[in-house]
Amino acid sequence: MEFHIQDVTMTYPNGKQALGGLSLRLGSPSLTGLLGPNGAGKSTLIRLLSAALMPSSGVIQLDGAPLKDREMELKSRLGYLPQEFGLFDELTVWQFLDYMAALKGIRDSRAAIRQVLQDVRLEEQAKARIRTLSGGQRQRVGIAQALLGDPELLILDEPTVGLDPEERIHFRNLFSRTAQNRLVLLSTHIIEDVQSVCDHLIVLHRGTILFSGAPERLIQAAAGHVGVFWEQDAPENGEISVTARVHTACGVRCRGVAGVLPSYARPEEPTLEDAYLYLISREVAR
Amino acid sequence: MKFVRLFLLEFFRLLQSPFTWLTALATALSPLAGLLFYQPAQAGTMATQFLANPALAGGVCGGIFFALLTLEELDRASRSRVEVLADAAVPPRHLALLRLLALIAAAALCFGVTAALWFPASRRLIGSVFDTGDYVLAYGLFMGLALPLSILAASSAYQFTRRTDLSLALVAAFSGLSLTVWAGDWQLCWLNPSVWALSDDFSNLRIFRSVAYIRLTWLGALEGVWVISWLFVRQWGKGPLASFLCGIRRPLGPLLALCLLAGSVSAWAAQPLVDHSNPDLTVMTFDALSMLEGVTCSRRSAQVFPDTHAGTVSGKAVYQLQNRSGSPQTAALAVNPGYSISSVLANGTPVPFSPGDYEEYNEAMAEVTLPADPQIELEVEYGGFPQESRSMSTMQGRLEISGQYLCLENSALIPRLLNVSPEGEERYPTSVEIILPSHMTVIPFCASEAAVTAVHSDGTSTWSYEYTGSGGILYAGDYLREDIFAGGLSIQFYYGRKHQAVMEAAGAAEAIQAVVDYCTEHYGPLSFGADGSLKLIQSRVSGGGYATNGASLLDEADFTAANLNDQNKGTAPGEVMIHELVHQWWGLANMFAPGDPKDPWSAEGLTCYTTYRIAKELYGEDYAAEHYVNPWKQAVEDYHRNFYVRNPQYLSILPEEERLQITNRLAELRQYCEMPLKIRKAETLVGGEAAMDGILRGLFQRELDWAYPYLTYEEFLDACGLEKEELDFETNCEI
Repeated sequence: MEFHIQDVTMTYPNGKQALGGLSLRLGSPSLTGLLGPNGAGKSTLIRLLSAALMPSSGVIQLDGAPLKDREMELKSRLGYLPQEFGLFDELTVWQFLDYMAALKGIRDSRAAIRQVLQDVRLEEQAKARIRTLSGGQRQRVGIAQALLGDPELLILDEPTVGLDPEERIHFRNLFSRTAQNRLVLLSTHIIEDVQSVCDHLIVLHRGTILFSGAPERLIQAAAGHVGVFWEQDAPENGEISVTARVHTACGVRCRGVAGVLPSYARPEEPTLEDAYLYLISREVAR
Repeated sequence: MKFVRLFLLEFFRLLQSPFTWLTALATALSPLAGLLFYQPAQAGTMATQFLANPALAGGVCGGIFFALLTLEELDRASRSRVEVLADAAVPPRHLALLRLLALIAAAALCFGVTAALWFPASRRLIGSVFDTGDYVLAYGLFMGLALPLSILAASSAYQFTRRTDLSLALVAAFSGLSLTVWAGDWQLCWLNPSVWALSDDFSNLRIFRSVAYIRLTWLGALEGVWVISWLFVRQWGKGPLASFLCGIRRPLGPLLALCLLAGSVSAWAAQPLVDHSNPDLTVMTFDALSMLEGVTCSRRSAQVFPDTHAGTVSGKAVYQLQNRSGSPQTAALAVNPGYSISSVLANGTPVPFSPGDYEEYNEAMAEVTLPADPQIELEVEYGGFPQESRSMSTMQGRLEISGQYLCLENSALIPRLLNVSPEGEERYPTSVEIILPSHMTVIPFCASEAAVTAVHSDGTSTWSYEYTGSGGILYAGDYLREDIFAGGLSIQFYYGRKHQAVMEAAGAAEAIQAVVDYCTEHYGPLSFGADGSLKLIQSRVSGGGYATNGASLLDEADFTAANLNDQNKGTAPGEVMIHELVHQWWGLANMFAPGDPKDPWSAEGLTCYTTYRIAKELYGEDYAAEHYVNPWKQAVEDYHRNFYVRNPQYLSILPEEERLQITNRLAELRQYCEMPLKIRKAETLVGGEAAMDGILRGLFQRELDWAYPYLTYEEFLDACGLEKEELDFETNCEI
């Protein structure tokens, strides 16, 4: 499966431009992380790729044909978890998944449901009414419906919201396994979620792509721009953007990014978060 | 296959919703409203009261409940944001169609359960005249089809607006129009079809056809509107208009919508059931046509072939005309507006004819060119589906044609000559031959008798009879006949076979004997008893009786089991039967002004009084006092003690419906109890029963003023030589 996005813009009826001239190629197998601050256009891009929106201009092609002409085919191959979604509260977990399996045209729905319930660790809640589930369990039902039928394309928008740390690790690994032979697009605010599993990263900012490539490349780009220093050594309005502060017995130890590290900062090996923040801060400074 | 599975799942999901079950429960109970307070069908037959009204109420209430369920379900999917997940799997329009079908399936299931639940209750309430076929059709058409109509309307409103509040307002306005402003137009009331009566004893195919026609017309219209609204289903994040513009790129949807709407509009415009007669009933253009000079008709005959399955008629009428003018003439024929004339031959040669567009009093005029020949045999072939009058469009059912009942009136039976005078003194001697199923009895509504002249192998028989007149009315049906000799009259009493048990239980034949003997002796013979013979024909429910020379029609509504047990009219069913038959003298032969229904002077006063006198003669004075006079006195005392009679100022502040209910009940009491007591008081004042009988005989046989042929209270008082106040009771108050 391959998406080819060419010069796509998306302007909402209220005049707000969410994406401007975006060009991109996404192909399987891959676990692609989509990062960006609020309002960067992540959800818009995801909705465009799931055919919930049509672009104002530009072309999105799926396997060489316009997406609009392949809407039915896309939907039959898509597992989608939006950021905000609802469930039919009066149904049981099994009934809801059965309903979604029918919508997706999955033939052996029983096996598929059993598999995803196992994947999201909800076997025991299979017969529970959805209205009785906790927030985290509902989120897992959402993930389960996206995984139903082993879709070739999995688009997940903030999938780990509301999950506890142990579950987040579990799902991170699950997505990583899933991406071995398909395309998984993972949009998130939590850089930790993408750091260890994504082989490809897209950073969006104000509707344009700031970075697209392997996470290592982003980290490399930040080398020499990340440092640590004691807060008391730094002048007020210093030229370094603080990304973390830790209270220690000797004072507040800070971590920051800057185009040119000041003398009071000691260079450090950048993490993906550092690299991302460096990229965004550079863009903001511009 | 996938679609079927999706549909089943959506349907199953719908059944999981508590709101669906609440709607189903409310719908299942809604026929109760038809028994208690929502009673649009007014006739007194058992099928009207216990079948039509519950089914109509079920349709109206169930329709509204399912419209609410539709809005709730459509809104819930978007409100709960499940739509986001579902739309990612299936295009939104597929889902919209699935939801509509699931809602309609839920409505069908609910309707089936409701109809099954009410079956035993209706059967018990209606009694021996219950008909399973009528039950299925009434529930199916009056209630069942209202549910998908409401679902389509609500679903369309939501798909256009995507707002529950706005959709609710639109659906409320649309339903409200049907229940109020449009209720007087049989084609517009989509939710509450125009049904005024269902017959107990005969078939109801005509009214069922009418309702089915309107239901299907609206179904087409609302399906068309739904398909258009379906094109507005939001997709790809676009607004309504952009979604619509995307939707119409594929021509199938718009084409389907156009076809459905065009079909519906055509069906609406070309409805075959009601004519387009001039609504101004004071206009009588056809009657004002000048008679042709030198052209007369000496005889006419007709062969009539009703199709009791299709409800249509075909026929051939032959007129023997004399043309003394020596030149061609244009004769005018009146035919039922639903008929068309297929050929006209004069002396075996086709002659030009032209059907007219103008219709008046349920007749259309066709003009035929007559040759200059002195003797003309004019042969007219006609046929079609007889239409009912536009002025009675909300009371359809009169021209019933089925294997159980048939009524053909005037130009629906045989085309009527409008501008050709009869030859000689006899008015258009006519012979009619009609072929009907053998189990049907043909009853001409006149003095003559019909006889079977041939029995055919296909289970039909040919009946023929002769009469004179320009029109002619014919009844036929699955009738039983009893011959009774009473009051010097040979009476043929015809009643529906289905009513046999009720008639026998009420002692109908004995009642007729007693009434005719008594009334003829005390008041005089009926004016319409021709040559010592009278047909009493129980007709399909018609809203009242009427009479002609030799025949009188009794409305079946007067002989229902419920009416025969009405204590106001008589103690036992046999006495109520007597009461209804006394109306032949007081009510039909002697009419009372159809004025204010609250006026205590009506046909009921003299009828109740006469019934009491007959009961006294049959069963003795004590019986009559115990079962008539004493209950009347008690009722009048109760009336004067009634809170609202003593304090009418409180009545005026009640809600109108409640006020009407109370005033109607009290007015009925005055007509049925107070007035007979006053007549009895007058009887004492004028010198006893014999004197009163003499007065009533004089009134009955008085010379009528045809401009106002009604017997008034003043005429009665004058005949008695009494003043109004003399008949008042001590504690007299009026409401």
